[in-house]
Amino acid sequence: MIARLIYLNWKLFLSRLSRFQTLLIAGYALFLLVLLFNLMGTALVIIFLDSSPQYQIDLPWLTEEIHQLILLTFANVFWLLHFSFTSTRLLNIEENRKLLAFGYPAGKLAWHLNLMTLYHPVNVIYNLTWLIFLAVQVSSVWNIPVLVAVVLLNYGVIFSIKHRFLQMVERRFRIVVFSILFVLLGSATLMAVISRQALSWMNGITLQISEITELLYYLPGGLIYWSATYEHSVQLTLVIFGFTLILTLLIFRDHYYKTLEGLLSPDIRVIREHVSRLWAFLRRWLGPNAGKYIYHVMTHPYNRLQVIAIVLIPIVYIPLLLYLDYSEISNILIPTILAALPVALLAMGGANMFGYENREFLLHMQFPISFEQQLKERFLGAVTIPLFIFYAITIFEILRFPFLGEVLEIYIANTFFFLCFMMVFLWSSFYQFQRVSYSTFSFKHPIIPQKVTFTITFAIFVLGYTVFVPLGSYQSYRLYVMLFLIAALGTYLWKNFSILVDLYRSKILGQLWNQL
Amino acid sequence: MESALTIEKLNKSYDGTPVLRDLNLDVPAANIFGLIGPNGAGKSTVIGILTGLLARDSGRVLLNGMELNSRNELAIKREIATVLQPPLLFESFTCYEFLTYVCEMYDIRDRELNDRINSLLTWFEIEQFIYVKVRKLSSGSRKKLAFCAAVLTRPQILFLDEPFESVDVISIGRMKTVLRKMKERGSTIFITSHILEVVENLCDDIAILHEGKIAAYLDAESRKELQKEESLSEIFERYLDVKNRGEDQLGWL
Repeated sequence: MIARLIYLNWKLFLSRLSRFQTLLIAGYALFLLVLLFNLMGTALVIIFLDSSPQYQIDLPWLTEEIHQLILLTFANVFWLLHFSFTSTRLLNIEENRKLLAFGYPAGKLAWHLNLMTLYHPVNVIYNLTWLIFLAVQVSSVWNIPVLVAVVLLNYGVIFSIKHRFLQMVERRFRIVVFSILFVLLGSATLMAVISRQALSWMNGITLQISEITELLYYLPGGLIYWSATYEHSVQLTLVIFGFTLILTLLIFRDHYYKTLEGLLSPDIRVIREHVSRLWAFLRRWLGPNAGKYIYHVMTHPYNRLQVIAIVLIPIVYIPLLLYLDYSEISNILIPTILAALPVALLAMGGANMFGYENREFLLHMQFPISFEQQLKERFLGAVTIPLFIFYAITIFEILRFPFLGEVLEIYIANTFFFLCFMMVFLWSSFYQFQRVSYSTFSFKHPIIPQKVTFTITFAIFVLGYTVFVPLGSYQSYRLYVMLFLIAALGTYLWKNFSILVDLYRSKILGQLWNQL
Repeated sequence: MESALTIEKLNKSYDGTPVLRDLNLDVPAANIFGLIGPNGAGKSTVIGILTGLLARDSGRVLLNGMELNSRNELAIKREIATVLQPPLLFESFTCYEFLTYVCEMYDIRDRELNDRINSLLTWFEIEQFIYVKVRKLSSGSRKKLAFCAAVLTRPQILFLDEPFESVDVISIGRMKTVLRKMKERGSTIFITSHILEVVENLCDDIAILHEGKIAAYLDAESRKELQKEESLSEIFERYLDVKNRGEDQLGWL
């Protein structure tokens, strides 16, 4: 029966893979083989390190004490590594629960699922490596039953700890991520401090090897190692074996009941107000319509990557341009890059305004709220955040880069830049509408149509050179032209703003209805 | 009897191809009404026009006595709800977020809202998906969720386009129970379907839509009389003037 269960889960696993992922299975199998040989090989090399006369010549510092230290370090590192590969999700409770409907006894299924997880290749590799690593070093034959029980107990403990850790991560994701970052930063700082005083630190450690070895003995990996190497009477061994066996049985019994509970009682949660924090914040700040729209924009995986790119480009390029001091070119490129930042953000939310929600708009149209209001709120929502960035950048430019021009010049140039793109995006939203796909790195279905992306890129450079090239005494004429164009564009946008619904009905609605 | 819905001389065409031709229909209030017809008869177009999603070429539509025009649009929308096929849902929300959002749009902010959501989801056995993203739901669960959202707004007229498609038998039974309760409360249910069995036991009045016109309107009484002698599918075929399409050509099967 368990063989069929394993086969069924294997088929289930395969059915969820894309064709490309299925091909990767061969690579994964190879990886597992390499993992097995690597782990086993490392373990054996470390064990037999001091037995080879060649090593004794090559590594004169390898005393028995240091060899012991290496063995214990390996055991503890290996124990930690075991965590990263033991997946509690292998039980696949949600899918396997369905077998109960076909008469699979619940108790048997719970037990078989636990066994199935134990048989997973990665767990087999780790447990086998443990067994061989320990069995090669046994002090007497009496250690063997003890080490087998300890390896099983260790697997059970790791499984339990990891399961609980993952549950905690699901509930308190941010705290866990920040804690890990904190630990990583702390470790990096520590390493930096140590590296500055490496010699004295090394001297110190040499003096303390015995203390470190003793400490490593009491860590989990050390305790497992000890189960194979301790030398005591048979009576004491029997007591240790009995105690370990009881612990092992208890922990597997716990796994069994937890799995059974999971199988028989699906995750029924009590209904309470539970909404995502981002959505709650955006709804409060921008209202239900604009908030919902911006929530779509902000949670799109591709946009998250875009934001990183938008932030990184000026961080890298502007200091570079300032450092290289290309004066004239820098005076054009720096304001162009800065002016393009809010434009890039605006593009995310404004260039394909109906693509994110797509057919959801049909439901919005049925709500007893003016659809014009719903559309206008969305449009304003898409403009709000880029506008904040626009003002922040303009102030930053005025304060930090006074050489770029007078306050009014910078302000007018940036406003003109921003308005031009608002026009482009309004056009593209209505005339270049396409459904936004939710696959990251999708070039087949990008968020913004490629035609528009090309237009934006082209327009940024053309406008950058038109608006920011220093004109000397003719500067004032350009300002007048830009002011006139700002007024014209503003009027045009305002007029179009009032006919958003008509445009929507004539250009978008039909396409959405035909998707039904 | 008071009318919940009146359609007069409704016309609609797509790119010059007429879909609805001078369609007239009168649906009494507190009635479960079924609009049946073959594929492409224009059932979804009728729902699209009645819910304001599609513009009509000409004709007059009255919903609960109010003429469907831009002046009455919001008042009418407050009294109707729709479940289209495929259902319209907010994909990036969880089911709970979706339902509360819809209620917020209808200005429903009762303290008992959570209890109502709970009872409906439990009734349809989808309570375990309450915090699951809508886009992860199966097609049956999506239909049930859309139905829950429409029912939560307690509409006077509920439009359902192929409501039982991809829904399991038990859930269909439960949906029917809800619809009957709504009817008892005075709501009108407007169902379109191409599956006769679905509407046969549920609907009071049935109209057959064929080539953009109402080919027959059978109220509960006349249906009872007609169905003494022939089944609904026979009546349907008779009104549609179904011809032999050459079964003999399928001999190779």
